[in-house]
Parts: sequence; C-alpha cells; structure tokens
Amino acid sequence: MKILVPTKRVPDTDQRIRVAADGLSIDTSMLPFVVNPFDAIALEEAVRISEESSQPVEVVAVGVGGDEYEEQLRTALAMGAERALLVETDRPVDPWNVARLLVKVVERESPNLIIMGKQAVDDDANQAGQFLAALLDWPQATFASKVELVEGGLRVDRETDAGIETVRVSLPAVVTTDLRLNEPRYASLPSIMRAKKKTIERLSCEELGLTIEPRIEIVAMEGTSSDRQCERVDSVDELIDRLRNVAEVI
Amino acid sequence: MNHGYALFAPILADTSEWTREVFGNIPPAAKAAFYAIAAAALACFAYGVYRRARLWRIGQPSDGSKSFVKSTLAALPELLFQSRLRQNRVPGRTLATSAHLLLFSGFVVLTIGTALIAVEHVLAGMLGRDANDAVFHKGVYYAVFEITLDAFGLVFLTGCGLLAFRRWRMPGSIAQRSLDWGVLAALLMIGLSGYATEGARIIREQTVRPEFSFVGLAVARSLQTAGIDQAGAVTLHFVLWWLHAALALGLIAAAPYTRLLHVIAGAKNLASAHRPLGTMDLISMEQVEETGLVGVGQIEHFTRRQLLQLDACVSCGRCQDVCPAHEAGKPLSPRDVVQDVRGVMNLHGTSELPELVGGVVSHETLWSCTTCSACVDVCPLGVSPLDLITDMRRFAIGEGALRGPAAAALQKTQRSGNPWGLPPQERFAWADGLGVPTVAENPQFDVLYWVGCAAAYDRRVRKIARSVVRLLQIAEVNFAVLGPEERCTGESARRMGEEFLFQEVAAANVEVLGAAGVKKILTHCPHCLNSFRSDYPQMGGRYEVVHHSEFLAELIAEGRLKIDAEARKKLAPGKVTYHDPCYLARVQNVTAAPRDVLQQTLGGDGELVEMPRHGRATACCGAGGGRMWFDDTPDQRIGVGRIEEVLATGAKTVAVACPFCLTMVSDGVAASESDVAVRDIAELLIEVIDAKP
Repeated sequence: MKILVPTKRVPDTDQRIRVAADGLSIDTSMLPFVVNPFDAIALEEAVRISEESSQPVEVVAVGVGGDEYEEQLRTALAMGAERALLVETDRPVDPWNVARLLVKVVERESPNLIIMGKQAVDDDANQAGQFLAALLDWPQATFASKVELVEGGLRVDRETDAGIETVRVSLPAVVTTDLRLNEPRYASLPSIMRAKKKTIERLSCEELGLTIEPRIEIVAMEGTSSDRQCERVDSVDELIDRLRNVAEVI
Repeated sequence: MNHGYALFAPILADTSEWTREVFGNIPPAAKAAFYAIAAAALACFAYGVYRRARLWRIGQPSDGSKSFVKSTLAALPELLFQSRLRQNRVPGRTLATSAHLLLFSGFVVLTIGTALIAVEHVLAGMLGRDANDAVFHKGVYYAVFEITLDAFGLVFLTGCGLLAFRRWRMPGSIAQRSLDWGVLAALLMIGLSGYATEGARIIREQTVRPEFSFVGLAVARSLQTAGIDQAGAVTLHFVLWWLHAALALGLIAAAPYTRLLHVIAGAKNLASAHRPLGTMDLISMEQVEETGLVGVGQIEHFTRRQLLQLDACVSCGRCQDVCPAHEAGKPLSPRDVVQDVRGVMNLHGTSELPELVGGVVSHETLWSCTTCSACVDVCPLGVSPLDLITDMRRFAIGEGALRGPAAAALQKTQRSGNPWGLPPQERFAWADGLGVPTVAENPQFDVLYWVGCAAAYDRRVRKIARSVVRLLQIAEVNFAVLGPEERCTGESARRMGEEFLFQEVAAANVEVLGAAGVKKILTHCPHCLNSFRSDYPQMGGRYEVVHHSEFLAELIAEGRLKIDAEARKKLAPGKVTYHDPCYLARVQNVTAAPRDVLQQTLGGDGELVEMPRHGRATACCGAGGGRMWFDDTPDQRIGVGRIEEVLATGAKTVAVACPFCLTMVSDGVAASESDVAVRDIAELLIEVIDAKP
C-alpha cells in the first residue's frame, strides 16, 4: 500500500503576521515556517497506519514550492515518511493548480490513498482536497476525526457542524484531516538527522507536463489591528454590565 | 552489687589469666570440615558476585577511571558511618534508619571481632601455641574484646528485631519477598545462636571472668537453671557452634543472591565518583551518527555504573516516598523503575528480552518525572532513578514518542528560541519603559541579567524581571541584558531528553554570551541557573552564575538596598511561607539566601512560617523536567499535595524564587479557590525598598 501525503509550507501560527510593503503578500523576513498543522496530522495518520499495518505501507510526502521547502519535507521524513517529492515552482500556487499538479503526481506514484490536511492555516481555502478528489474521480472523506482500514476501504468519522458522520469509502480515496484526528509526533533532532539519509526527489512542472494557470489573483492584503486591551473584572455582573453599557455588544 | 568494683576490676586485678580457648571443643576433623565449608561458602559468594559483575559489564564503560582501592578507601568513612543514610531524612523512615544503623554497626563490629579471632588462631598456629596460650587474645584486650562484642551483639539483635517488627507491622511500605524475610531471620538466628554458643562455652570451659561476656553469662545461667551441667554443655556447645557457623557461612554464600548484594554493589557505587545533582552526560553528535541511537533503548545501552546501581537498590522505597509524581498518582515510582530495569538486566542473555522503553517502562512513566532530583538525593546507596529516566527519555524522544503540547513546546523552542513559540523580536518587550540597557548599549557591564523565556513572555512572570531590574537600578548595579538576542537555555529540552535541541540553543547562547564578554550572570530562574552551572561548562560556556536571591541578599548586606520601615508596615504581609524551588534548594543547595531576603523584607511586620517539607527536602511544584508543558487537569497535577501544604500553613502570602514555581503555585492556589498571594521574593522586596538615592 502506498499513501501520498500532500503538504503545504505555512508561516508559524505563533508569529505576528505582517503585510509586506507591496500590500499583496505577507512579510516573510524573520518568519519561521512550519508544515501546515493539518498536514502534520495527515502525516501522523499515514505513519500510524503504516506502523500498525501488517502489510508494508509506503508513506510519500509531497510539497509544492521552492528550495526553502526542504526543511519542511525533512520534518515530514523525520516523522516517518519514506520518501518526499518536491514539485518545484517559484510562485504561490492556488488550490486549483495544486490539485492539478497533484493529479500528475498521483499518475506517477499511483497511491492507494491520499491523506492531506482539510485546509492550510495560511489562506484557509479548504479546497485542494476536494478539487483533487473531483479531478481524480475518487471518493472523498473530508474533515476526518477517525480513520480505520476496513475490508474493501476505509471507515471514516467526519466532523460536521451537526455532529459526527461516519462514512465508508472504497480505495483509492482522498481523506482530509480535521484537528482531532490525532496528535502528531515530535520530529526530534536525532530523527531529523536520520531523515537526512532519505531522498527528496525534485520534479519540475515541465516534467509533470503542466503549466500553472492561476485562477486567483490577490489584489490586496490588509492586516487587522490587534491592540486589544485586557482587563480583569471582579464579578460576572460587572462583566455583563460592561458588555452591555460600555462595549455595547449585548 | 558493687558497680565500682566491676568497673575498676580490670585495672586492679591480675589480668594474665583473662583469656579463653579459641576453637575450644572443636575436634580437628570438625575444624577441617569447617574450613572446607568456609572455603565453599566463599567460593559460592565469589561466584555470586562474579555473576552480577558480568551483568554490570554488559553496559557501556563509565567514565572516571579512579582506582578502585583508592576510591573505596576515600569512601570508607562515608560507608562505615552510613553518612548518606543518616543525612537524608525521609519522613516516616526514622525507625528504619535507626534499625539499619544498629544492625550495621553490630554487624561491622562482630565481623571485625570474628576476623580478629581468626588472626589470633592463625598466629597461634604459626607460633605453635597451645590452645589455652593465646597470642594477644588475653588480658585487658580480652576484657575489652568480650565486653564490646557482647554489647554490639545486643545492638545487632536490636536492629534485626526492629526491622522484623517494621516488616511485620508496616507491610505496605516495603517490598515483601520471602527471601527478604529469610535474610532477616538468618541474621537474627546468627545473633541468637552466637549468644547461645557463648553461654554453652562458659559452662563447658568454666571460662575465667565470664562476666566480661555479660550476655553469654546470662545465657549460661539460664542454661544451668534449665539443668545443663558441664558435661551436657559439651554436646550442646558443639551443636550450637555448628549451627552458628553453618548459618554464618550460609549467609555469606547466599549474600550475592539476596538483597544483601547491596552491601557490595552499594559500597562500590558509593565509592565511585558521585555526579553532582543537576548534571547530565553530554552525548556527542558523532556518537549518534555512528550508532544511529540516542539514549537508552536496550539494557546494554546503560553505563556499567548504572547497571551496578540496579543491584545496589534494596527496594527500600525512600525514593517513592519523596517522588512528587508518585504522590500525585502518576504512574511513576522511581523504585519500580529501578527494579523493573533490573528485571530486564536479569533476563539478559535469554531469548525473552522484553522491550525496555515503552514496554517494561511505559512512556507515561517516563514523562511523569519532573527531574526534581529528590529520589537521587534521598537514596542511601547513591542510586539515580533520574538518570535512568532521562536516558530512556532521550531514546523515546528520538523514536518520536512524544506528542501534544510538550512536543509543541520543543518544536517552538527549535523555531523561535522559546517554548511558547512567541516571536523572538518580542523578547525584550518585558522591559518597556524601564530603560534597561542591552549589552550593545552598555558594553562595560559587570553583570549580565539573564531574563529567561518565562519572564520575557509570560505577563505574570514579567513582574519578577521588572522588580529585579528596579532593584538593580536602585542599588546602582552596572548591568546589561541580551535583549532580543537571548534565547532559551535549553534546560527544559535537555531534561525532556532532546539533547541535540539543547546543544543547538546552548551553542548559540555560548556564542552570544562570549561575543558580549559575559563573565558573571545573574538570573532569577533556578532552571537557567542550574543549566548555566551544570550544563553550559560541557558546551564550553563557563561563567560565574548567581541566583537573584543570593545577589539581592548580598546587596542588602552591603547596604546598597535599604529597607524602608514605613513601606514594610504598608506591605503588612502577615504570615508568609516560602516554597523552595527544587533546582535552587536541592540541586544548587541555595536555601539560606532567599530566606534572608524574605526576613529582611518582612522585618518584624511579618512572620516566616516553614512548611513541613522545606529546604533541601522541598516538594516539587510539578513544572520541572518539561512537565511545565504537559496539560494536566488541576486534580491530576503534580504538586497538588504541595498546594495543600501551602494552604495548611495559614499564610496569606507564599513566596517563591522560580518563575515555574510562580506559575504552578498560582494555578494550584487558584484551583483551590484560595486567595493566598503568590509572589517572587524580588516582587516582595521591591515593595519595601527605599527608592531614594
């Protein structure tokens, strides 16, 4: 069995994000990047399946981006992926084009299962997984909070606004992960060192036979003000009073 | 009865006849049999020790190749006077400690006595003396010898009796194995049969001045009352002598196969160089690249010293009694860790070797430890359950066995240089408006104030740093801070087992500190303090490091900080208790300075009350060893018992001297819905300082 885990490199969520001078992008100087937390959950799930399976399971991590992506792919390898693929591009790619690129990767790799984060925490688009399933014409189970391998496919608990929905999908399939699926393991420095022996394969868009046709154009980016003032109130009554009469929100 | 006569009798009387026959009543054939059995017993003993030593040697060579003889001689006073046992008082262990001291001192004196008899016998044989013509076992020496040995026999038996009583009455607190009862019974029987033999000998031999052997004489009188005459005593003595000899030789033969092994393993361990509390072994990157392994995943990855320590452990359970994780109901008993690992060592060489990390010792057990070092500090035999735990943590973390908030804290340290993951650019925000000079602004500083991550990012803890800075400014200390260039010391990462993250941040810190020409570091964080003192020299960073309690106490003593009596009255703290941080009080042995600062702060207007566990014997707040980053519900928190202790003092304020303790005790007090104030000693001090120049 082969599991493909597409990932995205995103800014560390603990950092203060600032808009760059061009007003179209974020200021990435001094900004640490991480594997999108939902994709880390996807990686953990793939590695868990591989560890628990009696059959050999190969976990392949995929990234779309430039040289700087190597650090995140190393983390993916340290978490337990056997191989990593980097689809090289020099500009941001929107979810539709990511899905198109991934279709080409799927054609090369022919995985049995794709597990990826339900969304990336930078643009929160929540589209790539669904686009990919549609383009491949595979079944999809999005927002997974539990994944079980069962006879003939997967049994997946989905987190919906109304509650947990349990679905069964046949393989191959696309699963997108929600927050409560698992707690990703820590990629320690020794495991990152060991992961240095694993390979990162690089593919260009040309090699994949694809030109990126952007569908989305960013026309402006604005920061939100975050100078909140915190104050401690002495009682619930005072809080209600302040919310009603000072903040006038209730 | 004339006591005066008895006392001076040895000086007054003619002493030449004071002696007794050695090996009396033992025919040559029996003597030969005795020697043969003794030789067999010693061989059995030697094989038993060899069998264990072979197991110890499956471990990694330990560093420190001090000569065994030299180090044992150096440790002899400590061993003979049982210093570690006496010094490390554990509540509820007074009886056990006293009993062990009695048994041990009795045992040592009786063993020396027996050895002297053997020397006498051999000398007499070499000089061709007659059985009744002693070489030195006569006269005043004989009197002192017999009195001493009879007295210490009683001491020995009292110790055995107390231990048997304890074992019988308090079965829950100590490990119960039938073999342990057997050892104790054998010791008791050896003591009793010794006296019985002596009693029978006195009747048989009509020994002169039998009152020197006062217990033996009492036994003889009882035997005579029971109708044993001189003729009957011959057989009785022979039988008792053999019983005594067989028991003693049997116990020698059995010793390495029972918990008596601790006498050898424990002594050898105590004689080897002690590693100071708070220190850890450095792992080299080359070593890991070579083996692909970090820490201990299999029994033979432990050092020989550690494997030796497994055999030194007698399961007394002192470590478990003082373990804060065990107290809080976590699945960790330091004693069980040692014994479980020992169980794996015993299976070495068999095919059924169980998984060590995550198997015999569960991950939950490993992550429950706060590295407070109490277990190491109380162990009378110098065993370190903590080292076993941190070594296995290193392995577990290398295998990716850590998840959740604690794993996130490590990732954040790696990314942002602090466990909160907050932007490094904001590290200096705590000092806003205080005019704190950075090393660039004041390159001629005397003292570098190391702020630490907690005070840099946690809004509550910032107040400690702000108080310290104001105190430094009032006292006109020429200081500077690193500002945004400071990053986590890596202390927490190292104790969680992430050695290389520690080395990465430590190397960066050493470089920054070196570039700034730092010689003296002041910190309010005991974890940073210990890391600079114990970890950084391994990374090439050597500095004079002081805790703010020590530094502030000095500034007050020098008159550079003056107390304002009016302010003291205004502070009106009432009863104040002080919670000793583990890494300050136990690991770095700083207990007087913070109390000094508090006394000065309170003056006559407050009262410092101590909790039952204070000073070196303090109880952990629950934040050490990376536990700070684990999410526990309030009732599961390590340190719950400590909060109860704080509240039981009735103090209005609990003073602390560590940012982690501040957070944990504040949370604990809040969870108890108490309004006890939790303040750092510097926060209290600044309130009573006369700020006028």
